[in-house]
Formats: sequence, C-alpha cells, structure tokens
Amino acid sequence: MDTVTTGNQAAATAIFDLLKQFITEVIGEEFVEEMDIQPSSSFTRDLEMDSIEIVAFSEKVKAHFGEHIDFTGWLSGMDLDQLINLNLNDIINYISVCR
Amino acid sequence: MSRYLFVVPPFFGHLSPTLSVGAGLIARGHQVAWLGIVPVQQEHLPDGGVFIVPEKELEPCREQVAAILKRQDDGPSLSGPEVMRLALEETYIPIARIMMPGLERVIDEWQPDVIVNDCIAFAGALAAYKKGIPCVTTTPVPPDVMGDTANQAPKVYAWQQQLIRDLQYGVGIEEEGIFVHSHKMNIVFTSAAFAGFTDPEPHMHFVGPVQGRPNHAPFDWERLSRVTTPKVFVSLGTLLVDIRKEFFTRLVEAFRDEPLTIIAATDPAVIDAWPDNFIVQGFVPQSELMPHMDAVICHGGFNTVNDTFMNGLPMLITPIAYDHFHTAALIEKAGCGLKIRYKRMRVPDVREAVWRLLREPQFRQAALQVRDTFIAAGGSAKAISLLENFTAETMSKPAMIHD
Repeated sequence: MDTVTTGNQAAATAIFDLLKQFITEVIGEEFVEEMDIQPSSSFTRDLEMDSIEIVAFSEKVKAHFGEHIDFTGWLSGMDLDQLINLNLNDIINYISVCR
Repeated sequence: MSRYLFVVPPFFGHLSPTLSVGAGLIARGHQVAWLGIVPVQQEHLPDGGVFIVPEKELEPCREQVAAILKRQDDGPSLSGPEVMRLALEETYIPIARIMMPGLERVIDEWQPDVIVNDCIAFAGALAAYKKGIPCVTTTPVPPDVMGDTANQAPKVYAWQQQLIRDLQYGVGIEEEGIFVHSHKMNIVFTSAAFAGFTDPEPHMHFVGPVQGRPNHAPFDWERLSRVTTPKVFVSLGTLLVDIRKEFFTRLVEAFRDEPLTIIAATDPAVIDAWPDNFIVQGFVPQSELMPHMDAVICHGGFNTVNDTFMNGLPMLITPIAYDHFHTAALIEKAGCGLKIRYKRMRVPDVREAVWRLLREPQFRQAALQVRDTFIAAGGSAKAISLLENFTAETMSKPAMIHD
C-alpha cells in the first residue's frame, strides 16, 4: 500500500475525526467506548467491523466526500493481507489523494 | 444395488446431512460407507453403514489433525478475510492432503460405484477424478458464501485458485481446471429461493433439508410438557466451544426473569447455576424438539437453520464467523428472523428481538413461506432419487477416465 504524506496534518486530523464519527454511527457508541480508535486501528481486527459494517461506513464516506471516492473499487484491488491490515490511515491517505 | 462412498470433513454439521441421505440409501438396499479423518460415534451412524478412518496413513499426521481442529476455536476472534484464510489455506487444503493417501487405498479396496464428497472435503472429488469414478458433491450450506471474488476481489480470487491448483498438482493432477467439486452433480441442502438463486447452473440441485439420520439422545419430555410459557430453542452447534460461557451468560441475563422458557443445547457445565426457566442438555433430539418450539436463537449453523425453517419458526441469528453472516443476510432478506451480530450483542437488544419474534406475526409467516420452499425442494427422497439416477446413467456408459 502507498504511504502518502499530505503535508497538511490539520486536514488529516479533520478527516480522522470525521471517520471516527462515521464508525461510531455504524457500530454504536457503546462499542466504540470500549475501543481506543487510532489512525493505526485496523478495521477488521481492531474495530472488529464485518463486511456489512464496512459497507455502511463506506456509504457515509461517499456521501460526505463525494461519489468520485470509489471505495468499493479501491477495496476490490486488494489482496487478503491488505484487506486484513486495512487501517484508518489508509483511508485518510486515500481520501487525501482523491480530493 | 450400488456402492456409495461419502467423503466427509471432521465437522458434524457437514457430516450430518450425509448421514440422513446415507440412511435412506441403505434402506433402499445400497451399500454405504463414509470416509473421514476423525472417527464418528457409532450412535450417529445408520444401521448397516460403515465409517472408515484410514488410521495407517493418518498415523504421521495426528498432530497436524489435532492442530487443525484446535485452530477452529480461533474463528470467532478472527476477521472475515482472516477466516477466509483459516478456512481454505489452514483447513480445507491441508485436510485434503492428509486424506488423500488413505482415501485412495480405501477406494481401491472398497470399489465404490459413486463417490459423494462434501463441498469442503476436496479429496473426495480429487480422488474420484484421478481414478475415473463418478462423483457427486453435497453442499450443506447456501453456496457462494465467499461471495463473487472473481469479479469483486480478483486478487483474493487468484489466491483461492492458486491454492487449489497447488493442491491438485501435489496430488498428481496436472490438467487445467478445478476438480475439487463435481461438475456433474451438486446436491445442496437448502432451497434455491432461500439461497437467493434464481437461475442455478444445471448441475446444482437444491433439495432442501434432509432427514432420517438416527438421533437417540434422551430428553426430559415430561418437564417440557409442563412448560406453559413460550419456548425458545438455543443452539450453538458443535463447534465454537470457547465462547459458550460468554454467550450463555448473556442469554441468562436477558431471559432469567422473563415469562418464557429457554431450551438450550449446550454442556450445562458452562454456567454454574441455570435459572429455573432454562432447560439445558448437551446433546438433544433436535428434530423432535423443534415442533414444540415457538422461536429459535442460533449463530447460523446450517443444520439448526434448516430444522428451524422446516418447522416454520422465526429465528434470532447471532452470526459469529464463517458462513454465518451470509446465512444471516439470507434470513433478513426472507424476513423470517432478526440478526444481532455476536460481537455487538447487547442484552436488552436480545430480549427485545426475541419478544418481537414471538409477538409479531410477520416473522412466523415469512418462516412458513421458507418452509414451503424447503418442502417443495423434495428433501431426502429427492436426494436419493438424484443419486440413484446419476448412478444408473453413469454405469450404463462405459467407464471413462476423466469424464
């Protein structure tokens, strides 16, 4: 996976906060309270999100950042290890590149 | 009279429907044997059936088999893509490699007319292909549980294909193609409507649930007959041992003070003190119990799903891992139940969901519709006639290697 440095930490932090809010909406506040969500948190292992929750999350990302964010297409190009290790930073970088 | 060899993995949910079909074949005068890598308790085997474990060839693999079985306990704590790896790379493929030598010897000695392989017991179809024996596959779960990886995740698809090709090459099959399933006949133990297939390939035969395997488990029917509140059956199947305590602790919390009765199929030792409205027993006569129930809670093991909808009961499904999520999606689509993911299982939500299933008639109505599709699919009688016709057709033709 590409590592992209945006040079705009404020923007990255803003995206992170927004993603955290989407995750809370999808899996429920009660479960988020028990987790320490970090940019390095992986979706499947750390946040224990299943495919339906990830789809619901990606819909929220699309609704906010625009249809040109081809989340599904981006995911479909990944191999198993990339899917297992996918974390919030990957999404933040992807959104930053797409904008 | 024909000779059928069922090749099965060491998981009871996959073995169970083959015991029912096998019992029916034996009753019609056929000879039936099963081959697996872990012995089955004799009480599960229909009279006249033989279960073969090729001990000699398995001897060097004992530790590996034990490790594979133990590894299944990790399923609930793994993510979807990790479970995919656990299933294919760490379970199905090594089991096929381990099975192959003993299976090939048994085939040479026992001379089956038809090999029937369970969909995850790849060795059965591979050995049949190598030896030119007609092969049928049985599928106890709705097919396509891994999704359309060819189009939606090409790299994951390529990984699946490569693993299977490596396995085939390793057991001496060098031809192009995928030979871990029968391309002639695949008998699926659910209905096409429930599994979401509108136009299945011609070799896919959806026969619905099958019945007829022996189950001699005793039960306190007298206690059940005294129950006056709604009865809810709970099962986590035969796998998933580690999470039982946590799962049933939450159920006790949810239902101990509710006017209903829980009939739970689990080892009573997992909880120190069960409330009075819980009837708990390790192994139960599930098919006989179901008609007395009003609703079912289960993780989505397919035999319990089949028993539930054969009786037109609504279900709370709490998917944990493996194919459970796919089954949960089918149940939500059919409207015959509610889903609460095990990882997000809150006690008040479970309580509310069960009362909704008991009080709102639409769930039971949808469950009765699924039942109709199951019954129309034909069940055991259909599975047996498909196998007999397949055998008659293949035996009337001269034997053809790699047909």
